[in-house]
Amino acid sequence: MAIADHLLEAVDGRRGVDAADSLCEACVILLDIDAAAISLIFDGAAAGTLGSSGAPARAYDELQFTLGEGPCLDSVASRAPVVVVDLADPDDRRWPAFGPALLAQNIRGVYAMPVVLAGEYVGALDLFRKHPGDLDGDCLAGAIAAAEIAGIPLLDLLDADLQAAANDPTSNAWAELNALSRVEVSQATGMLVAQLNVDPAEALVRLRAHAYATGRSATDVARDILDRRLTLDAD
Amino acid sequence: MTDTPRETQVLGAVVSLVDTLLVDFDVVDLLTELTEQCVELLDTAAAGFLLADPMQKLRLLAATSERARELELFQLQADEGPCVECYSTGQPISVANLAAERDRWPHFVSAAVEAGFASVHAVPMRAAGVVLGALGLFGSRPGELNTADLLVAQTLAHIACVAILQERAPTPATVMPQLRSALTSRVVVEQAKGYLRESLDVSVDDAFQLLRTYARTHHRHLTEVARRLMTEPASRPDILAAISELAYG
Repeated sequence: MAIADHLLEAVDGRRGVDAADSLCEACVILLDIDAAAISLIFDGAAAGTLGSSGAPARAYDELQFTLGEGPCLDSVASRAPVVVVDLADPDDRRWPAFGPALLAQNIRGVYAMPVVLAGEYVGALDLFRKHPGDLDGDCLAGAIAAAEIAGIPLLDLLDADLQAAANDPTSNAWAELNALSRVEVSQATGMLVAQLNVDPAEALVRLRAHAYATGRSATDVARDILDRRLTLDAD
Repeated sequence: MTDTPRETQVLGAVVSLVDTLLVDFDVVDLLTELTEQCVELLDTAAAGFLLADPMQKLRLLAATSERARELELFQLQADEGPCVECYSTGQPISVANLAAERDRWPHFVSAAVEAGFASVHAVPMRAAGVVLGALGLFGSRPGELNTADLLVAQTLAHIACVAILQERAPTPATVMPQLRSALTSRVVVEQAKGYLRESLDVSVDDAFQLLRTYARTHHRHLTEVARRLMTEPASRPDILAAISELAYG
């Protein structure tokens, strides 16, 4: 079974922080790394850790927000992966405070993949490793897949009511990723931004919550919005 | 119809596209233009570029038509159809008579026939030994692509790969993040189409043309205009006013 399938399995039937933690734990098992965390940035200011593979990962991850520099911040700013193959390399001065702090915890390699929600770069999957070096091809593919999957628990987190999703043991991350990647869903998200005067992430959360509450697919709800058969109420 | 020999037309298109690659360009815009060239040069009725996402599923990056029915045909190919086969084998596929392939791709064939297509073809997009996705082509008459047609299609698909990967020489490690970034651009462009549909009461198709025209006349990237519309509320009034001017004069 491919790494991506194992990663999807790790979040199936789980929601929110629980799914994010499980995804990070699966990264440690499946990829050649020692700790994983998913961290988020909203409006460049409020920031924090959504999920982690354990207490050490959470500590490494939170350190970057205390120090104001690190892989998640760089990855969101550049809208690209960030890779530091060896923090001990004297020529690498990317993070003058965060680098030495992680070295003191015996971490040498740091790899971050951006997490994207409704087209916005909102955070990163941060991977930490005790030995230096590049991630090999399979690990890299797995890390990118995990960052893609991380969008789902993030949507849960933003959906304050969680509606029917809260106790949905059949939730299937694969089906959800496919539905949310469809053009109708993105177009309807844009329509909701104009109708409700909210940002795209909030609009997508509202569309998805409506789909859950009415037991329909996100695509069907999106088509109804596009054809003006359905309008969602402003809060 | 024009009397210009096709070789001249193809060369003209390639020169113009490669010119674009040498200056600052927008990936969604350029790939949409490439699909339009495919239709003109290959006697096909519709064309679209499908790219693999991080989960190895094909997603639509650009297409000639924004009509719902044709978009659906490209999106159906996340699951079955010539583009999926082309993507998994890395080989071109040319199906002269679509209706004869109902057993092979039941959902895809019935949707394609209903949309008025008779033939379908796919050529792979590849770089650094990795298949990135496929260029899908639909014909309104039965018939295979001949060798010259395939060569033209493959050339246009190569140009698309270069456009997507232009930042640096591709390796398997750099290809995947770039694919993901291109697909994210498409998401934002789709959102902006919906935003304009709601704000200006135009069709999604018209919204896309207005957005492209606005971006070109203001020398901005399509994706950048879309991103500003979606994430910078303060920029919206000016952009909306200018696009409304384009729409209603």
